[in-house]
Order: sequence, then structure tokens, then C-alpha cells
Amino acid sequence: MSVSVLLVEDDEVIRKSVGMALERYGYRVDPAADGLTGLERFHAGDHDLLLLDVMLPGLDGIGLCRRVRESSLVPILMMSARGDALDVVSGLEAGADDYVVKPADTSVLVARIRALLRRATPAPGTPRLVFGDLTVDPEALEVYVAGEQISLAPTELRLLLEFAANPGIVLDRQTLLRNVWDYGWDGDSRVVDLCVQRLRRKVGADRVETVRGFGYKLRR
Amino acid sequence: MSRWRSLRWQIAALVAVASGVVALAVGVLVHQSTLERSLALGRDRALTALLAGPADPGPLPAELTARLGGPGTFATWYDDRDPDVPWMWAADDTGAVKIDMGGDLRNLRALDRHIVLASAGVLGLVVPLAALAAELPNRRLRRVARTARRIAEGDLEARTSAGRGGDEITGIAAAVDTMAAALHDRLRAEQRFTADVAHELRTPLMGLVTSAELLPDGEVTELVRDRVGVLRVLVENLLEISRLDAGAESADRVAVPLGGFARDCVHRTGLTAEVTVHGDPIAETDPRRLDRILANLVVNAHRHGNGPVEVRVAGTTITVRDHGPGFPEPLLAEGPQRFRTGTSERGRGHGLGLTIATGQARVIGARLSFANAPGGGAVATVRLN
Repeated sequence: MSVSVLLVEDDEVIRKSVGMALERYGYRVDPAADGLTGLERFHAGDHDLLLLDVMLPGLDGIGLCRRVRESSLVPILMMSARGDALDVVSGLEAGADDYVVKPADTSVLVARIRALLRRATPAPGTPRLVFGDLTVDPEALEVYVAGEQISLAPTELRLLLEFAANPGIVLDRQTLLRNVWDYGWDGDSRVVDLCVQRLRRKVGADRVETVRGFGYKLRR
Repeated sequence: MSRWRSLRWQIAALVAVASGVVALAVGVLVHQSTLERSLALGRDRALTALLAGPADPGPLPAELTARLGGPGTFATWYDDRDPDVPWMWAADDTGAVKIDMGGDLRNLRALDRHIVLASAGVLGLVVPLAALAAELPNRRLRRVARTARRIAEGDLEARTSAGRGGDEITGIAAAVDTMAAALHDRLRAEQRFTADVAHELRTPLMGLVTSAELLPDGEVTELVRDRVGVLRVLVENLLEISRLDAGAESADRVAVPLGGFARDCVHRTGLTAEVTVHGDPIAETDPRRLDRILANLVVNAHRHGNGPVEVRVAGTTITVRDHGPGFPEPLLAEGPQRFRTGTSERGRGHGLGLTIATGQARVIGARLSFANAPGGGAVATVRLN
């Protein structure tokens, strides 16, 4: 069963060409031309990943992202043509997992999609890890806060597992970009910062500590 | 700014001079009028003594006899031939007296001394007070200067917040604030414009890039892809330059091991360059921007120079050298200018690469300098930190 991508893009040429290009890579592409149609399609279908343009007529990409996040943990990749801080940061704040700046080669797009679709790998035989009221089960890929199971988006889960594997150790943004997002050297550290913010909202603000100038660490 | 040329000491000096002049004028006036009064009193005393009966004061001085007219007249003369022992002479045709004016002289001298002492005392009090009072406007001026410097350094949110009060310093501060606000607005407008231009250019470009990828392979497709690639690089370079011009870029620093980084960077350009690394230098810098700088220098060396291209990392200094004709004279004199390459080079590159490298170097706080090697060839040097 092929991977299904919901592509929301108002520019017709991009929508068609990216759709065709992704289909060549074996993805199933469900195209939508504006935000509201995109939201309808999202609710109607079962998509493995959302590829959203930021500037869309009607409901824009950021609004759409926020609406999707109310009910779903599906990986979201944003495409921004402006590439300025405001666009990127608002997209990531709204819950996107990563972003690409247009124009992006199909190979880059596919690499990003693959990185986001990469599931956290269960580690059999690994005992549950307990950090205060936070419990991480690397075997079942389950996370509990104060005994209650919480649901994390795939990126957030991979990020938390990365922290849990190195408790109390400071992980710099480059390392996290490499291990969680599959970036070489050229990842944008804001992607990490904003995902950490989302993770904090779920596992408790002081669980992930910021080490200024270096990175983050999980408090034991 | 020299400490003694500060406004505070200028004001203090002005106050000192003004007070000094006033003290001198008052002192001279008092001295003069006191002298005249004591002379008049001395004359009266001498005449009274003369009326009471002439004594024998000794031989009459020539000046006094010269003043004496005919019978029935009298004359007085102040005798300060010995400045320490003055006399007042009075004479008529019957005789003469002289009375001692030494007491008056000593009184006058004491008065002079008191005036000088009092003036010095007042000066000693007033000058520090003036310096102290000048410190207040001074401090406000310094704050305005500090704010202006911060604005020049790119902090457009900086304001003097001089408050109210209608003096010239508040005026200057308000003018600086207005200027900063205007700059801020213009910068914001430019950034917005750049972002809009980016959107308008990149959207069709993305369609073009992905469509070109979908074309069936062939000679014509290669031509299209090549031009699309050129267009893409040009658009990205122009957008990068306008972002750099807008001055809104900031460095995202991490520790970068320079040796391996330079090798990777050269590798990513797909061009050949000999990388030599001395030691194991690590620099705190923005890898994405440093990559842009190095890649642009290496590409430029290949495009406008001849091989072999050498990249040398020594400490936090990286040099990129080629063995071509070297940088043209105008570039060495004025630095890189956009869209200006040597006329013979027209059509090869847009002269944007070095402009971007210079701009990015400024963002990461590095110094990028261009020179020609004595043995020929262009040498670009990046000094981090």
C-alpha cells in the first residue's frame, strides 16, 4: 500500500508538477487548491503526510496546520516561498514538523518526506524509562505523564526518544537535526527549537531544559 | 574623545573664565575707589594739619612746589617715591606738612589680598559646581550618542527615551528617535518587499524546476534544465543580497571544526580544490553562512582564475587562492560590486558571488579581504573572530 500525501498548493503548475513528480517516486498524491478544500480532503481521507503551501487563498497553510493539529498527529511538511522568519516560525509553531523553501528539487522534497515518515523504531527489551512523572516505553513506543498515556506526533516522539536515550546529557541542535530530522549540516535550528516547545507543552515545561548556547537536555 | 575636551570641562572652564573676569573687574573697581577715598581723606587730614600749624617736614619736593601757585593758595601731593612708605604732603606759602599714609596703604593691600582670596575661594567652589551641573546634560547627551551608535550597529529598536522638557538635548534626542523610527519603518517595508518579491519569483520558479525535472531526458531537456538552474541560482543570489542589504540577518553560531568543514564545503561545490589544514582549528560561527562564503570563493576562483585552487585553513583564517590573472584592480580598490565583472568575463557569472560572500562575512563578524599573490593569482582571506 503506497504512502498517501495530501498536497495543498494554490499554484496550479506546482500542484500538478509536484504531484506528478511524487507519483513517480511511488507516492499517492491527493491534490487540493485551497485551504478549506484541503481541510475537507483531510477529514475525508486517510493521509500519511500533509504537504502544505504557506500562502493559500481562504484558509492559509498556517491556519490549516493548526486545524489539522487539533485532531491529528499526521506529519506536516510546509512549503514556503517567502522563506522569512515569520513564515517559517509561524508554520512550525502551528505544528508543522519541518519546512522547505521553494523552489525545492523533488529529491529534496522526497528526502524530507521520508525523514518525516520514518517511524520511531521500537527498541525491544529496553526497560521503561522514568523521569519524574514522565514515563517513556521505548519498546511499545508509549509515553505517560503522571500515569496517563499521551499521544505524540512522530517527530515529537523521535525527539523524546533521542532525549530519553541520553538523559541528563546536553544534545546540541545539530545533533538533534541529524538524528531526528535526517539533516546533514544544513538544517535550520528553529525546527528543533519549535518542536521542543511543542514537546514541552505535552510532557511538562521543565522536563526539557534549555542549555543556553548549546542545546537541550532531558531532566532526570 | 579626550577627557578634557568633554563638554563638562569646557563648561567648567567657561564658568571659571567668566567668574575670573567678574572678580577681576570688581576687584579693580573696589581697589580704585578705596584708593581714591583714602587719598581724599589723606588730603583732608593733611590740610587740617596744615591749618593747625605748619611743621617742618623737610625740603619740599619739586612736584609740590610746582603745584603751589601764588600767595593764599595751597597744594597737596601724594608722595609715593618710596612705594612702601607713602606720604601725603600739604603746603601753602607759609609752610608745609606731610602725614604718613602707610596705614592706608597697608589697609589697601590687605583689601586686595582679601579680594584675591575671596575670588579664588569662589572660583574653587563654582568651577566644580559647574562641572557637576554640566554632568546632567552631559549624561543625557551621552545617552543620545550611545543610542545613535546602537542604531548604527543595527539595533533599530533602540530609542533615547529622553522624556519631556523643552531644551535642545530633548530636541536632539527626539530627532534621533524620529530618525530611528523612520529607518525602522523603511527597513520593515524593504523586508516585506523582499519577502513579497521572493514569493512572486520563487512560486513560478518552483513550477519550472519541478516541470523541468519531469521532462524526458534529451539534449533539449538538458538545455532547459541548465537555464532553469542558472535562473534559480540568480534568483536566490538576488534574494540573498537583498536580505543582506536589509541588514536583518543574524548569525546562528555553533562550534565548527574548520578543517573537515572546509573539505566538505569544497566537496559540495563539486569543484576541485586542494585543502590544507594546519592543526585542528575550531571556530564558533554560523556554518550555513560560512559555507556560502567558502563555496562562493571557490566557485569564483574556478570561474575567473586558473587551477589549481588552494584552500588553506590555519587557525581561524581561511585563504582561497587560485593561479589565474588575479582580482581586477577596481575590485581590490572598491571591493566587490554587484553585476560588475571584468568586461572580458562578461557572460560568466554576475559578480554576485563575492558581494554575497562579503555580506555574509559581515553577518558572522568575519573579515573578508581580497589581494593578489606576488607570484600571480587571486587570494581571498576570511578571518573568523
